[in-house]
Amino acid sequence: MSIDLNLVGAKGAIAQEAEGKWGMVIDQDVCTGCQACVAACAMENNLSFVGEEDAGYGRTQHWIRIERFWEGAYPEVKSTPFQPMLCQQCGSAPCEPVCPVFASVHSQSQDINLQVYNRCVGTRYCANNCPYQVRQFNYRDYHLDPIHANEVDGQLVYPFHNQFNPDVTVRRRGVMEKCTFCIQRIHKAEDTAKSQGREVVDGEMVPACAQACPSNAITFGRLDDPESLVSQMAHDERGFKHLEELNTMPRITYLKEG
Amino acid sequence: MIRNFFEWVMGPMGRIAVLITALSLFSLAAFGIYQTQVPPEQPIQFPHNLHVRLGVQCLYCHPGALRGPSPGLPTQTKCWGCHQQIAKTFDPNFPELSEKLVGYIERNEPIPWVPVSQVPDFVHFTHRPHIAAGLNCENCHGDMTQVEIAENPQVMNMGWCLNCHKSRAADDPEKFTKLTDCGTCHY
Amino acid sequence: MSENISRRDFLKLATVGAATTAVLTGCGPASRYIKREPYMQMPEYTYNGLSTYYATTCRECAAGCGLIVRTMQGRAIKVEGNPNNPVNLGKTCARGQATLHGLYNPDRITGPLQRTTRGEAATEGLEWDAALQVVGDALNNNNPDEVAFLMGMAPDHLFDLVSDLAASIGAPAPLRYGVLSMFEARATLVKAAEDLFGQATLPFFDIGNADLVLSFSANFLETWLSPIAYTRGFSKMRRGNPKRRGHFIQFESRMSQTAAKSDEWIPIKPGTEGLVALAIGRLVAEAKGGTVPSSFENVNLEDIASLADVSMETLEHIAQLVAEAESPIMIPGGSALGLNNGLQTAETILTLNAIVDNFGKAGGVFFSPLSPNEDEIHRPASSQEMIELIEKMKGGGVKVLFVHGLNPLFELPKALGFEDALASVPQVISFATFPDETALQADYVFPDHHPLESWGYQRVATGAEQSVLSGAQPVVSPNYDTRATADVLLAAGQLAGGAVAQALPFQDEIEFMQSKFASLVSQVDGSFSAPEINTFSAYFQQHGGWWKKSAELAAPSASDALGKSIVVEQAQFAGEGEFFFHPFMSPTLGEAGANKPWLQELPDPTTTVMWNTWVEMNPETAHELHIENDDVIKIISEAGEVEAPVYLYPAIRPDTIAMPFGQGHTAYGRYAAGRGVNPINLLGSHFNEAGDLAFAGMKVRIEKIEGKKQLLSRLESRIGVYNEGLEEH
Repeated sequence: MSIDLNLVGAKGAIAQEAEGKWGMVIDQDVCTGCQACVAACAMENNLSFVGEEDAGYGRTQHWIRIERFWEGAYPEVKSTPFQPMLCQQCGSAPCEPVCPVFASVHSQSQDINLQVYNRCVGTRYCANNCPYQVRQFNYRDYHLDPIHANEVDGQLVYPFHNQFNPDVTVRRRGVMEKCTFCIQRIHKAEDTAKSQGREVVDGEMVPACAQACPSNAITFGRLDDPESLVSQMAHDERGFKHLEELNTMPRITYLKEG
Repeated sequence: MIRNFFEWVMGPMGRIAVLITALSLFSLAAFGIYQTQVPPEQPIQFPHNLHVRLGVQCLYCHPGALRGPSPGLPTQTKCWGCHQQIAKTFDPNFPELSEKLVGYIERNEPIPWVPVSQVPDFVHFTHRPHIAAGLNCENCHGDMTQVEIAENPQVMNMGWCLNCHKSRAADDPEKFTKLTDCGTCHY
Repeated sequence: MSENISRRDFLKLATVGAATTAVLTGCGPASRYIKREPYMQMPEYTYNGLSTYYATTCRECAAGCGLIVRTMQGRAIKVEGNPNNPVNLGKTCARGQATLHGLYNPDRITGPLQRTTRGEAATEGLEWDAALQVVGDALNNNNPDEVAFLMGMAPDHLFDLVSDLAASIGAPAPLRYGVLSMFEARATLVKAAEDLFGQATLPFFDIGNADLVLSFSANFLETWLSPIAYTRGFSKMRRGNPKRRGHFIQFESRMSQTAAKSDEWIPIKPGTEGLVALAIGRLVAEAKGGTVPSSFENVNLEDIASLADVSMETLEHIAQLVAEAESPIMIPGGSALGLNNGLQTAETILTLNAIVDNFGKAGGVFFSPLSPNEDEIHRPASSQEMIELIEKMKGGGVKVLFVHGLNPLFELPKALGFEDALASVPQVISFATFPDETALQADYVFPDHHPLESWGYQRVATGAEQSVLSGAQPVVSPNYDTRATADVLLAAGQLAGGAVAQALPFQDEIEFMQSKFASLVSQVDGSFSAPEINTFSAYFQQHGGWWKKSAELAAPSASDALGKSIVVEQAQFAGEGEFFFHPFMSPTLGEAGANKPWLQELPDPTTTVMWNTWVEMNPETAHELHIENDDVIKIISEAGEVEAPVYLYPAIRPDTIAMPFGQGHTAYGRYAAGRGVNPINLLGSHFNEAGDLAFAGMKVRIEKIEGKKQLLSRLESRIGVYNEGLEEH
């Protein structure tokens, strides 16, 4: 991402905040609420499942979730369009200024909001501040709960751990986490491209959710490349951003139903 | 009773006792810290200096460094490829080879090496871009002709990584941004 | 100097002590606690730290979607869709993504077992040689007529093997069944096509090119027939054509996930789907001008409107839309066909397509192409066909029952009597991979590999425009001492000798598979060609299957359908009660997902409930009955009763209650057992004329249980939906 040295001070900062590098377009007209993206994200990013009780308390590790609201009453009742909600990687993220240990920082090179696990001390201020409520906290060592293990020769063996993606850190308790736009895939794609002496091609790298979505509701790519599919779709007349009025400058454009 | 104890501690005998306790705690701590920085013990005392002096390239045993994140360890068959031809392997005067290596091969067991150049698992280090940037293995892992059992020539902590990242990107702001960005390694 | 130690000094001392402890225990490289064990011999194409990708086929349902599985050093870590497989074109559904939770499930059966007492968990391990002997003896020492094979809807290669095996010894052909095919009313669809078009086929509905979709309870965005293919079609219908956005109308008594995506959800009274189709057909024929087909002539519109609890305006509005649409399509499915009049309903709805003449046209109805190596459709058994087997078992006519890929004790309603009939079968041999209810009642369990550890092929019954044979290969070595059931049967057959050994002279599963697709080697119109079978096999594995290059969607002719006379009446319901009972397949769990914890934690798309079963009730009705959220009620039908907590569901008819199918296991591992209830046990033994269970044809009554509440874990906030906690505001 190039830094425009001509725009300085506040103007420069706002320009930077508004543009974005990696972004997404989610078409709510075709999202069917099937949860394939949720499952794909869970498998890709080593998300833990928390069980019925903690799920009831709202402690699920859903980095992406499908929201659904109701309007009206029977028989004039309507279910609002399914709404995949994930970290919007805001240009002006409310979660960034409040972290006392700088674990939630803005990446200058990828222009997304990062969560640095080893710095996090678990104040949960960032989750509190997030207007989209997309940050999840590890209240327990969910992965190491003995209920998931078998005892083999006196030792606890966790078969599920075989499925972990080595490119993603496995989080312990006390640490905040959220969608990273599959930054591990971004790094891999950029590394592969660099090793071949070229730039990343549009569509070469997709996050797990976009890859799985059967209706192609999720499009991902470079917002700063006017030729990319996501840039063009972001300018669709149906496009809007959630909670735009809060000036968070999210990188995800949603396309209205209808 | 406590008041009596504190009175004694404030006296000369007490002060000496406190000094001795403090000194022993301190030396225990220092020893503890030292212990944690000593290179770990390996199942077979593999001499890097010997093999490198014989002309074995780093990438022969650790080929993954060229293409990906992890250089890897040589498989048993790679070791055995040469060693089955080497008489020293079967010489009982060299039990590291004749007992340990041959033992693992015969039992079809992988050798449980202890990794030396470790970064914590919340750091995602990949070798390929470093080799592609023109670094030699020696730059970070030291001159292997001087080391018997593998050890780190310096502590591999974030400050050390960042020093090199900063100095190599001093003249390129975009590269500097990328190399000092938290998300480049911590994700 | 003070005589007492001051607070400051104490803190100083304490800190030094604490720091020392921290230093001693916490620092230093963690490496001394880790070992790294290299490969003994690394596979040629593997680089340390880089992944290897294998193409295979998903077996979480029978759709046959192609997968590419990312493996890292012998462990499967991520499932992706195979971009070249025509069924899913690179996409996966939630159940496919979670298949790894089956592969690495802590409750897998790790080796062959002999059960001491049926129904009890205690087992003894045995060696595979002994297991092969048991199977060989079972085949040899029994009258072939008394050997029965019961299989699931996947995998096809095993079904073919068992078919050949059974034929060679003179045993009855294997039956294959799946509760999913019951909810899809697959037999009804095939029979309706046969009646109308003279060809037994599974119709394919090209919604991708349609501009108006009228679905009669077909849950094509959930688990119906080929969910990914139909979701892709739906997406294309909506956004594929820049000039128009397709319009979608769903008739269903409950707003399912599919109905939630509709533009108009029309909650007609259960049982009147056929009548409504008749009314619409009449109105459309009138609107288009020309002759009204004979079946649609004597139609009393006002009667139908009042029976169906829908207004004349609505019917006329829909008919108008259909008449004006460029490419309308009408789809029969699910609960509309799971009624005693289901076959007639299906035929009426298919005939609607004839009225608008969309057969064989873009956006219309086609025949799904047969798979490359089959001559006729192989459809799973209907529920009524299962009764024949159950009766035979009850009468002592089955001496040994082999079960694979199916969990009949969970998937069949109790009313069908499978559980009792099982008691009369002296020997039950299960090939289950997980300790499910049926394996718990089996005398022997000889576990098959997990699908990701297996070879095989799966015929694609529907969903692709071409003829597709999806291929499977192991992506990891088997984790436990399991064996491919195909190999077990082949080896046992060799042991047994005689007719079996002659009919199946194959070394192993792969040789058998090769014999089945040998005919494809010479064909040139496929996704790849090869000079001989071994090269073909290699490509088959690499590509994940073989499919024809061009689309082969044959079509019926409309005149066949219009000539028939269809008589459809309102459905009859079994049992006494004030509520229509609408069971539906959980879109996240599917039929066998309860043991995969990430599927349990996926919120149901419309209720967002996780980890449990619920019963959906209209809020007005609940209010009148003084029932609140999470109140546990008893639901009683003529066949049984269950208890479940209530979810006040805004979009369901006041006279209908609905429950998801997928939970209520009594075995099947730690994540599934003892969780939720199984609504299938409320279903009675009633069928439609095609043999499918009339699963939507029950009436039930409810009983409130005073003071019993069970909190449901929901993802949504209650405040937003029910204004709970805001009453005082």
